[in-house]
Amino acid sequence: MVEEAAQEIFLKAFTQLDSYEGRGSMEGWLTRIATNTCLNMLRSAKRRPELSLADLTEDESHWLDTNSETAGDKLQTVEDKLVASDLADKLLVTLPAEDQVALLMMDGENASVKEVAEATGWSESKVKVRAFRARRKLREAMEKLLGPKTVGREGKVAQ
Amino acid sequence: MNHKHIIEILDNSPLPRLSQSDLELVKSHSKECESCAHAYQAARLSTMIISERAGSAIEPTPFFQTRVMAAWRERQAQENVPAWSRLWRSSRALVSSMALATAALGVLSFFAPAIPSAGNETASTYSAEAVLMGQQSEDQMSYEQVLSAIYNDDDDDDVR
Repeated sequence: MVEEAAQEIFLKAFTQLDSYEGRGSMEGWLTRIATNTCLNMLRSAKRRPELSLADLTEDESHWLDTNSETAGDKLQTVEDKLVASDLADKLLVTLPAEDQVALLMMDGENASVKEVAEATGWSESKVKVRAFRARRKLREAMEKLLGPKTVGREGKVAQ
Repeated sequence: MNHKHIIEILDNSPLPRLSQSDLELVKSHSKECESCAHAYQAARLSTMIISERAGSAIEPTPFFQTRVMAAWRERQAQENVPAWSRLWRSSRALVSSMALATAALGVLSFFAPAIPSAGNETASTYSAEAVLMGQQSEDQMSYEQVLSAIYNDDDDDDVR
């Protein structure tokens, strides 16, 4: 789906090049096309109601076990990164399209509220609310996946 | 420390953007509170997977170039169409309807003589008048008839 979106964005940018009036930055114009395309594709995609441990692969379960016990915030191996990315995909589809966009832009790409507002055309307060809700839902979904065992087993969070 | 307050700190902004004091607050509280420790753990892992997802590079599929080239050719073909052709495309409906109307008028004018018109009605009226006049002339007495009628009357008087 991501590859499809990337194709669609570049194709739209190419075919709609005439509509770029040169007023704003080219990057901003392209970001807006990308955001709208992604939003439309995410809206048309089916949402998964909830993710359970049974939906995870063995690698993903192992990844969760390993990384919940270690304190590092950075993933070292390519395999770990791929598994993390797949897990993110599975969790993100449980969120509404708008929440996914707000979360990925703000938390993934470190965009500011203003930047997200400009790219999506939403108000800044809407961006904040969307990101807050998305973070909460993702955290709660992750808590369910982790289950009570992680903290119970260790007795405390890995520092 | 309020449990709700810690959860709000975690949900308000991404973990890497938390201030040092907030982060210390969350960590120290998590040592004592199991549910907040669980929430912090989940927030930390969520941040990790979202960062990985956003950071992964997307390779375009082999069909991308084909699609771009097809779009390019289509656009070039549109630009190469001559001006008169584009004008014809836009005004085709109008010109067609005008031609149709002209043809209809031509057909109508061709069959018009067969339909009785105002001039013919005048002519037929004139003919009818002529017939009537003819009848009138038949009713009128000729000169000989007038004379014979006069003299006959005179003859009748003499007989009396």
